[in-house]
Amino acid sequence: MKGLLLKDYYMTIKYCRSYLIIVAVFILISLFSNENFFFIFYPCMISTMLPITLLGYDERSKWNEYIGTLPYKKSQIVTEKYLFGLIVQLFVFALIAVSRAVGMNIDGEFVWKDYIVLMSLVFILSCVSSSVCLPFIYKLGVEKGRIAYYVLICIVCAGGAVATNVYTLEVQKNISLNMALPLLCVAGIALYVLSWYLSIIFYKNREYNCG
Amino acid sequence: MNALEIKNLTKTFTGFKLDNLNLTLPSGCIMGLIGENGAGKSTVIKLILDIIHKEGGSIKILGKDNEESINLTKEDIGVVLDEVGIPECLNTKQVGKIMKYTFKNWDDSEYGRIIKKLSLPDDKPFKDFSRGMKMKLGIAIAMSHASKLLLLDEATNGLDPVVRDEVVDMFIEFTRDENHAILISSHIVSDLEKLCDYVAFLHKGRLLLCEEKDRLLAEYCMVHCSSEQLKILDDRFIKFKKVSPYGAEAVALRSMVPAGMPVSPVSIEELFVFMVKGDEE
Repeated sequence: MKGLLLKDYYMTIKYCRSYLIIVAVFILISLFSNENFFFIFYPCMISTMLPITLLGYDERSKWNEYIGTLPYKKSQIVTEKYLFGLIVQLFVFALIAVSRAVGMNIDGEFVWKDYIVLMSLVFILSCVSSSVCLPFIYKLGVEKGRIAYYVLICIVCAGGAVATNVYTLEVQKNISLNMALPLLCVAGIALYVLSWYLSIIFYKNREYNCG
Repeated sequence: MNALEIKNLTKTFTGFKLDNLNLTLPSGCIMGLIGENGAGKSTVIKLILDIIHKEGGSIKILGKDNEESINLTKEDIGVVLDEVGIPECLNTKQVGKIMKYTFKNWDDSEYGRIIKKLSLPDDKPFKDFSRGMKMKLGIAIAMSHASKLLLLDEATNGLDPVVRDEVVDMFIEFTRDENHAILISSHIVSDLEKLCDYVAFLHKGRLLLCEEKDRLLAEYCMVHCSSEQLKILDDRFIKFKKVSPYGAEAVALRSMVPAGMPVSPVSIEELFVFMVKGDEE
């Protein structure tokens, strides 16, 4: 799987530099925009888009067929994409966590509880957005799977709005989410695992056109 | 041991059926899979690799069923597909590093040697390669991890005559080891004529013939005569014939052609064309 990770790293550096720049710019803006959580949630969505973009390039170069000739199990091929996505997401999550801590400190409003609530919401949104697209793409291919991309954008926009409201409620009205948030985090992880499992099944059953 | 044993292989797509294919490729040999575009050559190679799933029949690669630990078997198989399938941004150095972490038996020095021999650039991205260069890189990868079986799908297409000759020599050298074998598909029959020990003709998903090349060429000849003269020859000994107002041509059993009848050696290409036309009639 190391070979596949290396290949995706090379491709990310070449094709996805703009993503990384957008993530950096948004996180920088979020430092000075404590009221608008769009600048926090959007980098999450961008990072979850990375494996999908790479799959698009794989399909274009016919790597998706060539990989069938290499000594990898189909489950390894799918797992690598999830693993690569996870590494990028964790990296972006860490950046957001640091920037939020700094942002809250700049405003002199750093409260541990609020911070944990916000980061939990970012985590849940990351899990949901990265879980939605990939099974569709492994089932339908990148072109048709793009429908899932539009669904994802709707989810992120709605999720971002809900998360912002939840956070505002939590902070301003002091509504306790002590139980709900950990449960939602676990549900997010479960969704991610389910997505991975479904993608493996879909990929095993998928066949590419032959001449 | 047989490098490849295919029995009653069946696969259906919309508008295409691979029908009960039987092929055996002994180790130490090269088999040419000849067929027109859409005959099912790529389908056969993808079925062997379990990239697509068979509906019926069995495939044994190097003595193992192809559905049993196929990922381990692939360590011993070098493959070049019609579209090589390397991501466009990668150069030969990066491809080498990726393959080093992919194949257990990857041989860096062998890869470097073949890259140099085929004059491939180190740092040019794959997207800037010509079709011939892309094929060369595919061949370099396939031959750099101690493969025992090469599956080559139209691998010599796009190569200029000089490089094609070099590559053909590399393939011949590869099968000097009696544990090695090659299945190569092409519709450019002249390439295969020089290279192959066995030829298999595939037409619309059906195997028309699978035979030792030298035996085939020794057994058959091309008869050129008038349509009247052709009547002398017993139909049972004529494999295929083409009669026109200007004369007749027929592929016939050499031993059964009467003395004095004008004959010439038959080429694999002629045999293939005659067989396909005969099949369609």
